[in-house]
Amino acid sequence: MKTLTGADRIFMALELQEPDRVPHFELTLDRKVKEAILPGASYDEAVEYFDWDAVVTDEEDQPGYRVEILEGGNYFRDQWGTIKQDMGDVNAYPIEPAIKSEKDLDTWRPPDPDESWRYEELARLVKKYKGQRAIAVLFPDPFRVANEVRGATDHFMDFVRNPDFIDRLSGLIRDYYLRYIRNCIEVGAEIIFIQGDYATTRWPMLSREHFAKHVIPVFKTLVDEAKSRGAYTAKHTDGNIMPIIDLIVDTGIHGLHPIDPLGGMDLGKVKGEYGHRVCLIGNVDCAYVLTWGTLEEVREDVKRCVRQAARGGGFICMSSNSIHSAVKPENYVEMVKAIHEHGKYPISI
Amino acid sequence: MIDLSEIAKSIVEANIAKTEKLTKVAIDADIPAEEILNKGLVAAMQVIGEGFERGEIFLPELLMSGEAARTAVKLLRPSLTKQEGVRRHANKAAIGTVQGDVHDIGKNIVIMMLEANGWDVTDLGVDVAPEEFCTAVKENDFQILGLSALLTSTMPNQERTISALKAAGLREKVKVAIGGATVSQRYADQIGADCYATDASDAVKKFKALVQ
Repeated sequence: MKTLTGADRIFMALELQEPDRVPHFELTLDRKVKEAILPGASYDEAVEYFDWDAVVTDEEDQPGYRVEILEGGNYFRDQWGTIKQDMGDVNAYPIEPAIKSEKDLDTWRPPDPDESWRYEELARLVKKYKGQRAIAVLFPDPFRVANEVRGATDHFMDFVRNPDFIDRLSGLIRDYYLRYIRNCIEVGAEIIFIQGDYATTRWPMLSREHFAKHVIPVFKTLVDEAKSRGAYTAKHTDGNIMPIIDLIVDTGIHGLHPIDPLGGMDLGKVKGEYGHRVCLIGNVDCAYVLTWGTLEEVREDVKRCVRQAARGGGFICMSSNSIHSAVKPENYVEMVKAIHEHGKYPISI
Repeated sequence: MIDLSEIAKSIVEANIAKTEKLTKVAIDADIPAEEILNKGLVAAMQVIGEGFERGEIFLPELLMSGEAARTAVKLLRPSLTKQEGVRRHANKAAIGTVQGDVHDIGKNIVIMMLEANGWDVTDLGVDVAPEEFCTAVKENDFQILGLSALLTSTMPNQERTISALKAAGLREKVKVAIGGATVSQRYADQIGADCYATDASDAVKKFKALVQ
């Protein structure tokens, strides 16, 4: 059997097959954690040290995404016009929406998806890693962008008081991302990874009807666009998505992340019900185990994931959200070791 | 005489204009504000809260009903604060997101639900330092202080805030409640909080229990 590359492993997993070992990569590796493990290392050096099977470039990390830096340097206006505060953690947090009234939408315009700076890091990763490691681009779901650009409270209430407004706003964001996806795939992206939470730890944020009518169709349009151009697709959403998981899987996505343990999601149950239709990506607990747990607890949680989801293929082992700033560096190192050790096919644990 | 269950119904249906109109009618009919609050608003928010807990009502409906109830609270507030003997209903709480954390959606929904249930809530904002929480507790008469934290990395600041309250001799002055996606009852016990609420609906129940 030929030696598989990281890209081979990822694509086989997304095709619901068994590669030689369970693949691994992360959507986010916090700077402080990386620095503690590999002082002074670049992203590429970290990728190679941990032997990630995929590399990721995040739209929100590109230099032009922060259109205007505001007072003190911690505040900025993003490309959608939302003012955000950067607290140095995984995602900057929206503090002032761009669209404060329905009238504002008349003059609001999405950014230009054809600006070349958006694709420079992607092109660099493609040139360096194509064929060796899978190339993924990460960007927010139009639902999340709308929630930020409109302000969460108003956006949620719009679903009841003005659903046409929801559709109009989502449509503008969707059209930007259709073009963005096409451009990314032309540059060489192989996985279109769309992130944005649909649920809280208790339930989905919206009713099933609202998801089915206003959110899922927009998301599916993006999935269809990516698939029609030969790319794989994956969706990240935290929370308890069980009441709507069928709607998400029915869009035809290849991968679903993270099967959130904080939301009470059971990886084994989801594997049993949907593992024949979608590659599961997750769900080593980064809220407790990677943050507070012992090395032994980390190893046990990796083994749990492998036991619950690896057999038969269709599994990528990853943290249950990100390697955020509170993760113990030694715990992440142990997690990677444990995946490589216990994730060899055929699975023997 | 106006049937107060109609006010409750209009809130459940998230009909803000109707809620406002019926509340004004009830006030003009000299129905005590306390009675309007209990039979209209609190009754409605109980229905909404239970539906939310069962996964039958979601954030848009919860927020819209909350907005309707807040409209009524604004109309009732002057009467409520005037009436002797109903002060116990104007329970006072303050809520803020702890230092290093600027997430506010959960906090805002909790405030909305508490206000809809007649609470007088002070929003201390986000990224609130332990000493700022202490100052707020010292200078006011809050019965409950709510500490919100969404991130695993900022959870320790809930504990630091409780320690600061102790150091300032203010811990016995106020009950402390914590919440946030990564927080748990186990963590609340560990850091010496008085209560942990899973969501806004749970917070209303737990806050009420804490002051009874």
